[in-house]
Parts: sequence; C-alpha cells; structure tokens
Amino acid sequence: MGKYWRMFREFFRACLVEELEYRSEFLGNLISSFFGIGIAILTMNIFFYQTDRLGGWSYADVLVLLGVFNTLKGLIDFALRPNMPRLLEHVRRGTLDYILTKPVDSMFYVSFRHLVFWRLIDVALGLGLVVYGLAEKRYFPSFVDIVVFFITMAAALVLIYSLWMMLMTTSFWVIRIDDLSFIFDSFFETARFPIGMYRGWVRVVLTYVLPAAVITNMPALSLLGKWNISTALIVGCLAVVFLWLARRFWRFALRSYTSASS
Amino acid sequence: MVRKYVALLRMKYIEMLAYRLATIVWMTGAITQPLITMAVWMNIDPSQSDAFFFYFMAVIFVERMTSAWDVWELDREIREGTFSNYIIRQLHPIHWAIAENVVYKLLFLVILVPIWAVAALFAPALRFDISGGQLLLFLAAVLLGAALRFLLSYTCGLLGFWVTKVAAIYGVLEVISLFLSGRIAPLEMLPPFLQQWSIFLPFRYMIGFPIDIINKAANGDGIMKGFVIALIWAAVFIIVLQFVWKAGLKKNQAVGG
Repeated sequence: MGKYWRMFREFFRACLVEELEYRSEFLGNLISSFFGIGIAILTMNIFFYQTDRLGGWSYADVLVLLGVFNTLKGLIDFALRPNMPRLLEHVRRGTLDYILTKPVDSMFYVSFRHLVFWRLIDVALGLGLVVYGLAEKRYFPSFVDIVVFFITMAAALVLIYSLWMMLMTTSFWVIRIDDLSFIFDSFFETARFPIGMYRGWVRVVLTYVLPAAVITNMPALSLLGKWNISTALIVGCLAVVFLWLARRFWRFALRSYTSASS
Repeated sequence: MVRKYVALLRMKYIEMLAYRLATIVWMTGAITQPLITMAVWMNIDPSQSDAFFFYFMAVIFVERMTSAWDVWELDREIREGTFSNYIIRQLHPIHWAIAENVVYKLLFLVILVPIWAVAALFAPALRFDISGGQLLLFLAAVLLGAALRFLLSYTCGLLGFWVTKVAAIYGVLEVISLFLSGRIAPLEMLPPFLQQWSIFLPFRYMIGFPIDIINKAANGDGIMKGFVIALIWAAVFIIVLQFVWKAGLKKNQAVGG
C-alpha cells in the first residue's frame, strides 16, 4: 500500500513539473472552472424560477448536491479522464507491453499515470459550493454527519473508479472510437439532480444498476443530516462489489490482449 | 457547380460509411442532456408531462438537424496545417463543409423520421396535427436554423487563423445558446428579460423557433417576425464570414511555411 501511495505522489510530481511548463494556462483554467460552476448554478436558478422544490429537495439542498457533483467531477477530470485516451493508444500500438512488464499493478498504473492537476480547482469550487449551500440552509452538520459524509464520499469515489475502469477496459475491443469518456459523461450527468426527480424504471436503474444517484445523493444527504446507517452500509457494499467486478473485468481483458505484433 | 457538388456529396457519403460506428455512437451522444432536462421539467410541473415530452423530443430532433461541428474540424486543420490542402484548390473550402453537412443531416433525417413515426404509434403525446403549410414553415425554419448554426460555427473556426483556442470561444457561445435557444427550458418558462433577449439574438432561431412553429406556440405574426430576424442574422453572418475569410487568408501562414 505504501509503495502505491509513494508512486502516486511521484506521478503527481512528474505531472506537476510537466504542467508548470505551461503556466500561462492557469488563468484560462481558472476562468473555465468558474464559468462551469456558474453555469451549473444558473441552470438550477432557471429551474427554481418555476418551482421551489425539485424531487423533494429545496434550493439550498440542491446547491449542496451540486457542490458534491462538482467535487467528484473535478476528481474524475483530475485523475481518471487524462488516462483514457492513453490506454486506447497503448492498446492500439501494442505499447501496453511496456506497462505489463513493469513490476507494478497494471490497472493502477494505467488509471493514475497522468494527472491534470488544474482540475483540482473544480474540487475546491465544489467544496466551496457545499459550504455555501449549508450556510444558505443554516444547517451546521454534526460530527457524525461529517464522518458519514467522508465514508459515503469514499464509497462514491470507489464506485466512480470502478465504473470508469470497466468502461476504459472495453478499449481492448472497441479501439476505433477515439474517446469513450462521453458515454460515462452522459450517465454521470444524471447524478447532478436529486434521485427523487426521476420516475419509474429510470429511478430503479439509476439506484441499483448504474448507481449514479447514490454517488452524489448519499454524500449530500449525509451532510444535510438525513442519512441512515443501513443505506450507508449498502453503499459501502455496492462500492466493494463494483470494485471487484472492475478488477475481474480488467484481468479478463488482459487475458484476451494480444500485443500489436503477434 | 452541380457536377462538382454531386462529386463532393458522393465523396462525403463514402467517407461517412467508412466511419459507421463512430457516426452512430456520435448520434446517440447528444440525447441524454435533453432527456434529463425533460425529467426535471416533468417533475416541476407533472400536469404538463405530455407537452414537455413532445417539446424535448422535438429538441433532440431539431438539435441533430441543425448541429454544427465545423469549428472543431477547422480548428484542427488550421492548427495542423492541413487546411492548406483546401485553400490551394479552386473550389472554396466551405463547399466541402456544406457537402459534409448535407450528407450527415440527410442520414439523421432518414433515421430519425421513421423512429418518430413508429414512436408516435405507441406514444400519443408525440402525434401532432398541423397543416401542410405549417409543416413547410417548420422545415424552412429548421433549414434556416441549420444555416445559422453552420455559419456561426464556420466563422468561429476561421478565427483559428489568429487564435489557437477557438474551440473554447465556441464553447462559451454554445453555453449561452443552451439557455437562449430553448434547450434548458421552453423559452416561455424563462424569466421575462431572458425571453426578450432570446427574441433578438440568433440562438433561438437555431432550435427553439422551429419547435414553436410545430408546437403552435407561435402565431402568424410571431412566425413572420421570427423569419425576418433569423434572415437578418443569416445575412450578418454571411457578411462577417466573408470578411473573416479574406482577412484570414492574408494572415494565414501554413505550418512549416
């Protein structure tokens, strides 16, 4: 475990050095992050212009949810997204061989080698929005709320990682599409809203099959003090199951991987 | 000219077939956002569910028919220098882009119209009852919308002669259009001042206006006014495009040149 943590730090350092070459991009990235979250808030304002509750959530609640969403999205763009096109490239050119022969876990390496640390701005802005939403609601989370928040947030990250990894693993077969991440994005967009907003089978799918709603709704609900211990446990179990599935799928894909020359 | 276009269209058609899978995946890509927005509105006002269903299905249809991707193509081609291949040919490069748009949108039309027809059999909310004249007006509005979006996107792409981040500029325009074109909400649901803005800016005519016609949300007077404003914008875009094109050619220095 310690070895992987050290390696992650090393990846981070390498990417930081690489990106500091392009310092002038900082302003542009800052503007685009502020623009992104501003637009998200504006959209919510348009909806709340016609109503005062969305799927049973008030405006301040939805701001907290949006903050959680933005934080998670920032983390995806920070660590996962930059790596997907590179894996596609490795598979197509057969350079994945070099990674497989390294004495590290290949799944860890392909998913965290490249980091775009600008996107941590989104994480900061998301957390800021969470705090603002709580202030707007005048709710001060208790210590237990925060502990549950961190647990569900960790579970959410594991879930996101697993789903992303499963999608990324399909690149062993569908190498012709340049970028698969928009499939994930389409699905993740649903997580922007309270789950109570969806009806019928859509809600069932988003809760159990592709747990988008669980990913953002649970942490937000924990902070708002509306958690209960059994759902938190279920989320934890779900995360473990999905991680196991992703792992199995990666192993299965590696078995069917033939290098470019063979 | 006609012969040239036939050749161009055939070439683009073959090109499209070569990227079948990417085309299909790409076509389904833009569906989730309107569907989620639809769910939001149905939640806000459940009594209007059928109307929202029709509206957002129409958004998906019109959005596909008017979508423009030329800015990304131009951005890449100018940056990598491959755009020079088009500049030295006698035919203005815009014709290649127009031919490509025609081919792809005909494909979307051929696929989407039967889907709509079959879906309408099962979902009464998708049926509509309009006269032939209104249908023609609707098609004209879609065509005009496609032209507006194409011109805007192509002009933005040509700015690539000067700046390297045209995709970002266009991204900002896209976000503005998200609100003012009727994609986030039917325009009558917006706050009044945004509604007023939307009438005079070009974005509404790219998506919302055709839907207003088929929805019968716009009356004869409003339709007339809408067409006039949209045509004025089209003229403005054409003039700007020509200006940018001429200035851009002077500025252009191909990579490696």
